[in-house]
Amino acid sequence: MPTDSRTGKGAAIAPPDPWDPVVRLSHWIIAIAVIVNGLISKPGGTVHVWIGWIAMAVLVIRLVWGFIGPDEARFSSFLPDPRAAVSHLLAVLRGRPREYPSHNPAGTMMVYALWICLAAVIATGLIMTDAKTPVAIAKERAAVEQGDWSVMVTDGEGEGGTGDIAKAIHETAANLMLVLALVHVAGVAAESYALRRNLVRPMIKGPPR
Amino acid sequence: MKIRKIKAQGRSQTVALALFMVLQSIAALFFVADAVRDLVDGPLGVESVIEALTAFVLVFGIFMAAWQLRLTLERMAAQGRALDIARGDFVRIIETQFDIWGLTAAEREVGMLALKGIDIAEIARLRGSAQGTVRTQMTRIYAKSGVSGRAQFAAWFVEELLGDGISQPHGEEKT
Repeated sequence: MPTDSRTGKGAAIAPPDPWDPVVRLSHWIIAIAVIVNGLISKPGGTVHVWIGWIAMAVLVIRLVWGFIGPDEARFSSFLPDPRAAVSHLLAVLRGRPREYPSHNPAGTMMVYALWICLAAVIATGLIMTDAKTPVAIAKERAAVEQGDWSVMVTDGEGEGGTGDIAKAIHETAANLMLVLALVHVAGVAAESYALRRNLVRPMIKGPPR
Repeated sequence: MKIRKIKAQGRSQTVALALFMVLQSIAALFFVADAVRDLVDGPLGVESVIEALTAFVLVFGIFMAAWQLRLTLERMAAQGRALDIARGDFVRIIETQFDIWGLTAAEREVGMLALKGIDIAEIARLRGSAQGTVRTQMTRIYAKSGVSGRAQFAAWFVEELLGDGISQPHGEEKT
């Protein structure tokens, strides 16, 4: 009874319980950013751009953490492997998934897919706003509202081509990300059920030990 | 209890450090964007060079903080493992001793609860038995282990932990 008071309730093997703070923070900030920018905030609005920039900073820090973070946060411990991902999904369906010290193979594919989508959304967003910081954009808006239209002239809205393509990619990738997020939540639920363990808790806070 | 508190404290410290790091990188991003824009747009002036330097130092600081955080996390993990091993060893010592004394399964459980400092009424409630039963079991445990009572029973294992410490002359060293 005293020996397994810990192993009984938490992730003795995997995933890390809790995940390290950088992983947790970046996970939830990006989750909020995707939800707010995808569903709530006005596209092109200052808030929308602000959140985009914050998400960009968080994505950068997470990618850096993928090189210098602790083992389970490092890319080397979750390299993409589509075949392992498929066999893991089959194992989940059978109800007997293996445990992994970091993301499981299916989760790994999801992580990279979400990162690629996020990077695409951020890059196209930067193209659409001419890489202006939200501060600069807010200033310009204020100037335009004051009646100073000169800032609009320097924009040079002539090249509709790249702008339209960027917009199309921006919207497609953003929608894809929302769909992937739903699949991700479903996957976590299925895995939690198969392992009979709450996989969300390690991402919020570790168990009181 | 105390260990739990220390652990929680260490954890919230790392969370604070990580939060600070995230804020720092958001700030750094704006700084870097500004510096890059200035370097690309305008002519190379003293101001833009200093701005670029500031941005670089800020980014470098973030890397240092990240590295420090990683070391802290690794140290915490190592300490946690060491603590688990020590705990496991202690439990093993107790169980071996219970074997030597030839305690029955019920007596082992009662003995373990007693070692955790739970009183007889609570043990009875936990095990769903009468207080008298628990008291009898305790008496039998004392008899088998050759101790006079609860204090000595617990002390038996503390002595095991202290090891040679007891035979040392009392004085300077406070452990």
